[in-house]
Amino acid sequence: MTSSSTRRLAVNGAIAALVLVLPLVFRTKPSIIGYLNIAMLYAIATQGLNLLMGFGGLVSLGHAAFMAIGGYTAAVLVMTCHVNMFLAIVAGVAGAGLFGLVIGFPSLRLSGFYLAIATMAMGSSVADVIKRLPRITGGDYGLINIPSLRLGGWELAGEASKYYFFVAILVVVFLVVRNFLNSRSGRAVRAVRDSEMTASAMGVNVAAYKLVTFVFAACIAGLSGALYAFTISYLHPMNFGLTFSIELLSMSIIGGLGTIIGPILGALFWVMLPVIIGSRMEFLSTVIFGLSIIGSVMFLPKGLSELVTRIQTRLRL
Amino acid sequence: MSIDIFLNLTVRGLTTGAVYALVGMGIVLILQTTNVMNFAQGDTGMFITYLAFFMITTAKVPYSLVLILAIAAGAVVGLLVERFMMRSVRSRSHLSLIMLTLGLSLLFQGLAAFLFKTEPRLFPPLVSGDPIKLGPIILGRQDIVVLLAAIATFGILYLFLYRTKQGAAARSISQDEYAARVLGIPTPSIYMLVWAIGSALAGLAALLIVPRFSLEPSFMGLIQVKAFTAIVLGGMNSVFGAAVGGLIIGVVENLVAYQFPAIKDSFMLIVIVIVLLVMPQGLFGKRQQRRF
Repeated sequence: MTSSSTRRLAVNGAIAALVLVLPLVFRTKPSIIGYLNIAMLYAIATQGLNLLMGFGGLVSLGHAAFMAIGGYTAAVLVMTCHVNMFLAIVAGVAGAGLFGLVIGFPSLRLSGFYLAIATMAMGSSVADVIKRLPRITGGDYGLINIPSLRLGGWELAGEASKYYFFVAILVVVFLVVRNFLNSRSGRAVRAVRDSEMTASAMGVNVAAYKLVTFVFAACIAGLSGALYAFTISYLHPMNFGLTFSIELLSMSIIGGLGTIIGPILGALFWVMLPVIIGSRMEFLSTVIFGLSIIGSVMFLPKGLSELVTRIQTRLRL
Repeated sequence: MSIDIFLNLTVRGLTTGAVYALVGMGIVLILQTTNVMNFAQGDTGMFITYLAFFMITTAKVPYSLVLILAIAAGAVVGLLVERFMMRSVRSRSHLSLIMLTLGLSLLFQGLAAFLFKTEPRLFPPLVSGDPIKLGPIILGRQDIVVLLAAIATFGILYLFLYRTKQGAAARSISQDEYAARVLGIPTPSIYMLVWAIGSALAGLAALLIVPRFSLEPSFMGLIQVKAFTAIVLGGMNSVFGAAVGGLIIGVVENLVAYQFPAIKDSFMLIVIVIVLLVMPQGLFGKRQQRRF
């Protein structure tokens, strides 16, 4: 028993050390760290979706729209209103949350297929509205030359410094989500997922908890979007359409819906596989993604994180 | 807007709507009976259209034969999907079933892009020739074929659902799957049949609409979104509703695009939101919502 927990501690420590050491290992190849940064941003957004779908049982096919709102709000505030970047990111998160509230309030009366279609429509129309506001958002040309991430007087210029910053944000987001799920509200959210009727019979306010989950997920996506804007320095409405929403959904499925670690695994898989395969066989990765989704639904309902758990039990960690 | 333009826009909208109706009818048929929302409907058709393209341009197979083969290919895809994917996970949550079809859609898109490259290709129309004039209305020949095909498909589906034993079985499953099994209806084979018919419609619809666009791995994406709008409008549990909803969406979309080009793309959101908020059962749906 004690030996197993020490071993687990050792493994976790090794993983943490690996995460911290990676930028030094790839010092000569900053592009790899760049990909990892993108993967972490996706993992943050996917964690929101995972909270919504895996724990809340609510389908969303428009999650990318919240990223778009967070990203555009933050970027426009910084570029045209010259707001402090930290405040702009907060505003992006709040904007996405507010939009989630406005959208969630009517659409959470729907369930299942209806909710899927309503969020799908919402997602594709946000991209369209952004395209129709060229004076604010750059319209079809996209928003270019977004300033790079800056905290206080300290600019996070290199990929490595962004990497450490994102690791910190990722850990915070994941801890917040995990603690939320283990709290009283989190139990209520899971109860609503498993059976609405039972939950409401136990005195859980089903509608309120659905809305809270939706807004929470939207805020997380908004955070991811705001950070994305200052990392990539370029936003285009087409990047946040239905396709990207489905990509986020795929990441959470492949990683494992309803697991805390799933979004990281899914996002890493999604970002790194095309890098490994290389650009010449670009679309082979799409094929593999499709197969992995089918495979994880059929054989590994908890996706890659189930694989990790199985390895853990096999090695008695 | 003069009356001539109005008539032309309406008729052209009807032909676009006929395609939404074809895709939508397939989705509703599968949704109603097997309770799976098939997000792969469009991309199944897209992949089959690629195969048809190479049969026509490279192998010089006659068009009519290709059309039949495409429908058959769709049916085979549907059979395989139901038998080897859906059946083993049927007991799981509906979310997993939706995800399976999303994965399938991604698989088809990836395969098409990987095998056939992404550059757009021009697909020859089924019938060529000058457009036909009916009074003030000018209508392309392909458009007439699309309309006729949609009407014929609707007729066949109606006959299947209401005049055959299997159709009655499919309808009874959609009412109560458990009771249907108790009464001795062979649900697995009915599921397979319904998937075959639904996916065959995907092949037909994609082949009929592709000459208006160009053939590329993503060309069915928007059409599928419109088809979803159509079935929401039609009420989700009625094949008739999907057909009428598709036609309405096609016509109104065309008129809106002419009069208010700025909201052309957001228009479907407005429709979906209004329909879902004001009358979630749609135009022709039954009031009671099905299990999910």
